[in-house]
Formats: sequence, C-alpha cells, structure tokens
Amino acid sequence: MSSTITKLNAPLTQAFNSQPSSELHLTPTPTPNTVAQRLANFATLTDALEYAANGVTGYNFYDARGNLRSVLPYHSLRQNARILAQRLYNFNLPRGSRVAIIADTSPEFVELFFACRYAGLVPFAMPIPVNLGSHEIYVQQLRGMLESSQASIALANLDYFHFLQEAVEGTTSVQWSGTPEKLQQLPRLDIEFQANHPNETAYLQFTSGSTRTPRGVVITERALMCNLQGIVRYGLEVKPDDRSASWLPFYHDMGLVGLVLAPMVTQISVDYLATRDFAIRPLQWLRMISRNRCSIAFSQPFGLKLCTMRARESDLKELDLSSWRAAGIGAEMIRPEILRNFAEKFASAGFNEKAFLPCYGLAESTLAVTFSKVGQGCKSIQIDHKTLIDKRMAARLQADGRKQNEFVNCGRPIPGHTVKIVDEDGRQLSEMMVGSVLVQGNSVMTGYFNNPEETHKALKSGNWLDTGDIGFLFEGDLFITGRRTDVIIVNGRNIRAQDIEELAELQPEVRSREASVFGVNDEDGTTTIVLVIECRLTSVAERQSLITRLQQLVYMAFGVNCVVELVAPHTLPRTSSGKLSRFAAKQGYIQRTNLEHQLSFMESGDR
Amino acid sequence: MTDSDYDEILRLLCDRLSTLTNSELPITPDINLITQLSIDSIKLLNLIMEIEDTFDISIPINGLTDVQTVRQLADLVYKIKSTS
Repeated sequence: MSSTITKLNAPLTQAFNSQPSSELHLTPTPTPNTVAQRLANFATLTDALEYAANGVTGYNFYDARGNLRSVLPYHSLRQNARILAQRLYNFNLPRGSRVAIIADTSPEFVELFFACRYAGLVPFAMPIPVNLGSHEIYVQQLRGMLESSQASIALANLDYFHFLQEAVEGTTSVQWSGTPEKLQQLPRLDIEFQANHPNETAYLQFTSGSTRTPRGVVITERALMCNLQGIVRYGLEVKPDDRSASWLPFYHDMGLVGLVLAPMVTQISVDYLATRDFAIRPLQWLRMISRNRCSIAFSQPFGLKLCTMRARESDLKELDLSSWRAAGIGAEMIRPEILRNFAEKFASAGFNEKAFLPCYGLAESTLAVTFSKVGQGCKSIQIDHKTLIDKRMAARLQADGRKQNEFVNCGRPIPGHTVKIVDEDGRQLSEMMVGSVLVQGNSVMTGYFNNPEETHKALKSGNWLDTGDIGFLFEGDLFITGRRTDVIIVNGRNIRAQDIEELAELQPEVRSREASVFGVNDEDGTTTIVLVIECRLTSVAERQSLITRLQQLVYMAFGVNCVVELVAPHTLPRTSSGKLSRFAAKQGYIQRTNLEHQLSFMESGDR
Repeated sequence: MTDSDYDEILRLLCDRLSTLTNSELPITPDINLITQLSIDSIKLLNLIMEIEDTFDISIPINGLTDVQTVRQLADLVYKIKSTS
C-alpha cells in the first residue's frame, strides 16, 4: 500500500509547485477584524450575521489546486442573503416552511442558508453524491428527505440539479425547484423582515441515509446559540486572532455548526476546501492551515489518517503547522494511535500534539456535548480488558502483561449540560461503570421532524437524550468505549445498521425481519460490515446473484464493501418479541467463522 | 481526441486498476468496479487522483454516480478530456 501511495504522490507535488498562476486578484478575508469580538452572545443567527457584517472577516473558498476561487466576507453574505430572502418572498410561504438545499462547499449554499433565515424559512442541507454508481439510490435518499421534511422549495447548483429534479418528481410538497441562478431571476419583493424568535426552528439536520425513515433533527435558534456558546467559549476559547480551516462537508453537523456557524458568530475568517478535494489530496488542507496561519481546524480521525498516509518528507519541509492551536477531533471513536501517528509525522512541520482537542457530540444535541481542555492535547487511560468485559467496569490497569484497552478522554460537558451513564433499565451508574451515555441540556433537539416514533426512542423522560453510545465517566470526564450495534463506522462514515437492513429487504428474495447487519473489527481496527440474510434459495446461481446484488446496493448507498452471508431460515436469533437481535446475530456469525477474539464488551446493549 | 486516445485511456485504466486492486482477474473493460474489483473508498480516491494527474483533468464528483464498469469510467474520462 505505502509504495502505491508514494508513487501516486509524485505528480502531485509537481502540480503544486507550478502554481499560482490562476490566483487572479482575489485576496482572502483577513484574520484581524475591525470590530470588537463577540462570542456568540446573540439571540438568533441573523442577529449574529448583522453584527459580523460590520467587520472585514468572512468565508474563503479554495479549489483542488489550492487556488482561492471565491471570497465571501460576512458583509457580502449579509447583503446577498437579504436580497435572496426578498426573492424567496415570491413563493408566499408560511413561516417555518422547509427549504432543501444540496450542500456542496460553495458560497451559494451559505447565502441560501441565511436567506432562508432572513425570510423566516427553515433550511436543511442535503448531501452530495459521493459513491460510484450511486445515481438511483442517491435520488431515493433525496426524495426521502424531501418527503420527510415536507419541503416547499428545493435548490441545487447546476452540477446536482438533475438529481434533484428526479427526486422532486413524485413528491407532493415541493412547489418549486431550481438553481440559485434561477432564484436570482425572480423579482425582489420589498417586504420587511420579521425578526426570528429563539424558540423557532433554525434548521433541520438529517442524520441517516435511509430512504424509508430519514431522521431530520429539529434545532431551534435557542439550542443552536446555546451550543455555539459552549463551543466557542468553553470548548475552543476563541480569540480575536483565530482563523479556521475546514474540509468538512456542509451537510454534516460538525461541518455546518462547527466550521460555518461557529466562526460566523465569533466573526473570524474561515478557509474552505471541498470535501472531495480534501479526500483526494488531503495535504491541501494542511497547506491551507500553514499558508494562512490557521489556528482552529477539526477532523474526524479518519481525515488525520489520510493526511498521515499521504505525507512525504518533502511535503513536511514546506509545511509550518505551528499556528494550529486547536485540532478538534470528533465524529467517530477516537483511536489514540491515529493521533500519535499524525503527531509523530507532522512534528517536524511544527505540529504541536498539545493542539489535539478530543471532543464528543452528535447532531441530536446540535453538535457538541463534551470538550477536553484546549491546549492540553489528547489524554487517555489504560483499562483492564477482562474487568471491562466481565464486570462492565473500567478498572485502571494494575499490572503489566494483562490485556488492556486504551480510551480517549473526551472531557466535560459544555456549561448547562449534564451527562449521565445508565444501565439497560435506565438506572444511573456510578463512575467507572460502563453504560449508555445520556445527555441533558438546552442544546438537545426538540425531536426528529415529523417522526414521533424515532423521537420517542431517542428522547427519554426528563428530556434526556439517549446518544446511542456506550461509555463511562471518570473524575467527571467522559470516555466513549463504543457504539451500540446499530451504528457501524467505516472509514469515518457513520452507517446505521437499520438502513442497510432496509436496503436488503427491498430485494424480492429477502423477507422483512430476515436480514441482520453488524460490523466486525480486525485486530488493527478495520471494520467490516457483515450482512446475514435468511435465505430460501437453493440454486447456486440465484444465491450468488443475490449476494452480488446486495454488495452492489450497499456500496452504492454507503460507499463501503460488505460481506454477505446467506443462512438457513430461523438461524438468526430473535428476542421474545420476535425482533432480530443484532448482538446475538453477530455472536452467531463470529462462532460460525471462528473469529472468537471478536467477542467484545463494546457491542452490548442492543436496542 | 481520437479513437486511439480512447483506447489509450482504457488501456491505462486497466493497467492502473490491476496494480491498485491486486486483482486475480484480468481487468477487462466490462469488469464491474464495485462487485468484481471491490474498489473501496480509499482505492477510489487514489484512482481518481491518478487519473486527474495523468490526464490533467478534473473529475466532477457527480460524474461518478453513473459509473460501474471500467468502460464507463473510460467513457467519462474521454468525455471530460475532449470537452476540456
């Protein structure tokens, strides 16, 4: 693998050395601002933008080669968004109507997002298609979101508009769909903006690739601002001389809340690289940080891994990462060795490992739940493996030679929020005991839009949000030990087991409740998705056809390979209520395939 | 762009895919990237990067949604190359 990577990298450096002919006359927005910094103490998003527009900072968009392509200072964003809002008034929509936007990393997306808020509408970001051969399934996913949100308007730029058009066909709620250019052609209606109220919905955040049961998290202005305050004051301790850099997609909570909205509500500048461009040439992100002296940049561990894999000695010489003071790490289980490898690799480029800032959060709590202390680096503890499995208890390692697990300290809840650990019956557990992670506070969603069933599953009495993650508290700090079996993380993508089972059940040969999906981990941490199907087919050709079809579908929908195992009917273990148990299905698979070392405490706690 | 350019693209893709995937199968134009070569996301990124650098083009992400076989990938590269 490594030799391939090195070879692949060779033409890359040449390409970068031969720029910057096309940089034209654009200048990125500066880091120092001309107005006094306010740290998210606003009632609403539009209030925050009105203030940010008094300064000179803003958003900057770079292309794959590292050239600055467009600059959107907050004052232009305000102006453009207000004009677009006046055009949106042509549709005469009731306040709170939903507006769907396919969110690539572009100034147009941000302008539309804020235009919706000025016009009293609720925007939500839809993903861009990233998988080979995913056309059909992507359109179904879009349609699922449009229907679940009952969106009135849907927008996409020209590159993605034909997908949107296909998705809109057959939906009943969408009364207009178009590109931003088409919206620009509508007249401006001179209607006075009504102020938004903190109790109103600010936006929806979709969290699942399901076509049948998409879940749109409802976030109010109040929840958003509460979370942003926690992030920028407590988590990042944002200062006037900070500058952010980001490749995170605008349709994910960390990308949108953490790297679009948080910089704006603190009036600092951001440099953006499209996710696709980062994925292909991850070092561009580091070059951007180095060149523009950025101080805040977040990534999932997988993004850091890509950087470590691709960097060569000659790349390191041209990088200076010493300005990077907050390297936020979140969005998936943090494996400390990924951070160590990154720090080791980039130490010579000035990266300070104290910059690592592990945090924990989820879209259902707007974004952030806990932050470790900024500037302290990644702290972890060694836990005795056997005690963890036998007693579901985190005992600090007593003696050498015993098998151990290392877990990263994700820090403490942001102010006004509480985290507790509970057992299967909802009883609160004491420190060091492993159980479900629940969170309570003003950042927690009001529910999933139009989906009382899923809302009921996630929000427990007292408005405690069940995060679906497993962990323990130690001296007030949160440690995540795993996710339940219903979420599988592969290469940084969070995939819901239910969504894959749903796909399988769309096949005529697969009956409902006869598919079970889970992830198995290699010793080196690689996760493989396994799909076990109860199957009545006897012909070898038919069985192979089903396997191939399922693998192809899963790839198209989620961009991952999977193992498909066909088993005889009644093989999959069921609970007393007839529900499939993914946990038991996994144990069965492991026994059949002799992967005994896989048996682990992490995946207990089936829903 | 000529037919020989197309053949060249196809030949190069087959060649690169065979190295990238260590496939036992001979890489033919009709081979399915997903089901037969199990191209995962990292391999795909490597392949795109190499295609872009070799042919000096930019592959739009939305172009890949209709690509499943090696031939379809060659068609896409050819199309982008001839319009750029």
